Amino acid sequence: MLLAVLAATIVGVTVGGLLATVLSRRTVDSAHATPVGPSASEATGSSVRDAVDRLEIGVVMFDSAGDVTFSNSAARVMNGTHAGLIVNDHLSQVVKRVRTGGAWSREIVLHGPPRQIIAIEAKPLPRGGIVATIQDVSARALVDAMRKDFVANISHELKTPVGAIAVLAETIADERDPTVTSNLSARLVDEAHRAIRTIDDLLELSRIETKVPADDCVDLATIVDLAIERGKASALGRDIEITALDPGDPIHVRGDRRQLESALGNLVENAVKYSHDGGAVQVRVRVDEPWIELMVADQGVGIPARDLDRVFERFYRVDKARARDTGGTGLGLSIVRHVAANHGGDVAVQSAEGEGSTFVVRLPARLLVTSADSERKPLAAAREDGRE
Amino acid sequence: MSAELRANFHEQLDQIRNEIARMSADVTELVPRATEILLDADLKGAEHVILGDDDYDARSIELEEQCFRVIALQAPVAQDLRSLVSAIKIIADVERSADLCVNICKATRRIYGHELDAELRGVIRKMGEQAHALFKECTEAYLNLDGPRAAALHDMDSYLDDLQRQFIQVIFESHAAEHIDLQVAVQLAVVARFFERIGDHAVNVGERVRYIVDAWVPEHPYPESDNDPPEVVALPELGTDD
Repeated sequence: MLLAVLAATIVGVTVGGLLATVLSRRTVDSAHATPVGPSASEATGSSVRDAVDRLEIGVVMFDSAGDVTFSNSAARVMNGTHAGLIVNDHLSQVVKRVRTGGAWSREIVLHGPPRQIIAIEAKPLPRGGIVATIQDVSARALVDAMRKDFVANISHELKTPVGAIAVLAETIADERDPTVTSNLSARLVDEAHRAIRTIDDLLELSRIETKVPADDCVDLATIVDLAIERGKASALGRDIEITALDPGDPIHVRGDRRQLESALGNLVENAVKYSHDGGAVQVRVRVDEPWIELMVADQGVGIPARDLDRVFERFYRVDKARARDTGGTGLGLSIVRHVAANHGGDVAVQSAEGEGSTFVVRLPARLLVTSADSERKPLAAAREDGRE
Repeated sequence: MSAELRANFHEQLDQIRNEIARMSADVTELVPRATEILLDADLKGAEHVILGDDDYDARSIELEEQCFRVIALQAPVAQDLRSLVSAIKIIADVERSADLCVNICKATRRIYGHELDAELRGVIRKMGEQAHALFKECTEAYLNLDGPRAAALHDMDSYLDDLQRQFIQVIFESHAAEHIDLQVAVQLAVVARFFERIGDHAVNVGERVRYIVDAWVPEHPYPESDNDPPEVVALPELGTDD
């Protein structure tokens, strides 16, 4: 996916540059050539102009005096907005640089929301004049940040417990006092378990990513019960109420039981982790054509708007400092996203900082198993019975 | 000849408006930046914004000078005069808003090292977003001389005022729960005021835009304002003895 995004960007830039060059040649040529009426080259010129007008990147051309001779519609779309003012100002600065030196580029950050990163590139044309491109590179910047963070985080998550294990083991080797030794070894076990948890989650994630989901007939009520149990186990002593809202008619879906358990369990556990003591967590499953929705809502700390896009990334932490107390591996939501995708659905989150979060996993309604279906598919039903 | 002079003069007016709008666009970006700096306790960013303030001061003086020069040399009338007089006032509003962003950054330094509750952070973020939205609106209304858009700013500002009240409430709660100490609580209350003032300046810019477009002036006494003037007390008629 990453490669595809990069490739698309590169192709976009190259095509834009080429077309702009062609266009500029035509303008310069026609200025010097003797006019011969609406010729074929004229027609080509205007179709090139139309083509450039349809590009997603902004193309602006300047004459050698620095005045604009052409701009396509993508370059004009921001006119009259505050972002347009800022981009135009940077554009004229960049063009000024290009007139005195060679090609020049610059990235500007618009704080938004939503935050945007705009790249401006300008280069001189061989027959005088300058062409500049304006491009929103926010998506590319996000991919870069994701990759950089992933490498940094995975080494952090695995290295921290392993480093602690090494130090503890060394200390135990030199320690003669049995009480200190037993203390140290208890911590050694804790750290080892943390490393194991991370590795387990990573393995689970890669299993979910690669394996074709099983085709079980799953009663969502049992999935909800299991998830609530898991939530209660992690809420121990924090007085957090976990409730399942109006189950209504039993809902059976075709899907991978293990994966669905893992997804909803992760969501409920997360909701508990980020709830205040005495808070409430609600779980609801319902059919809302064309989707089956599994919803988990809490009233906890919430997620800042700018992190909302990124919480489903592996190891992504909203609050880097707090991550340690919750004991999570940072992979839970990533697992949820993959489970949803594996079943042809998606996961969405709605949240405001300080007001709690609501996660909704949506599965396509075609996965629903009606009673007629289960009669027609004795095999799936039999397999289901065998597991119970 | 005189038509050419006029065209040149109107070009000058457009250029001045464009440059003021440009400064206003920069302040529009400064608001979310200051909010982020405050929430991330970004001391380096704060330093950067604080040092950058001189630039805004210099630009506003330069732009004011340009307005004075045009008024003196061209003796404008009607809408041209309104636009120049308003420009001088808008420059002041924009420059003051940049100062307020700088103040938010200074507050960042003072509350450095203190954790803020998620609720507090949530309201700060909302105030920042609303102040940003207001400034974006007033910048674009001025750039395009869009009267109706400028008129909508007042309602947007009431939401910001509501957020300020809500913020103060959350500060009290957070302080009562001993999550923040008194010093931080006071700093935050002042920050709330800074955001609220940025909104007020945006509303001012909106009013100037309406004045440029159709000579609109606010009714007196301010009917919708929060700080209504005190009820007029009937004074004893002059010359009568009690």
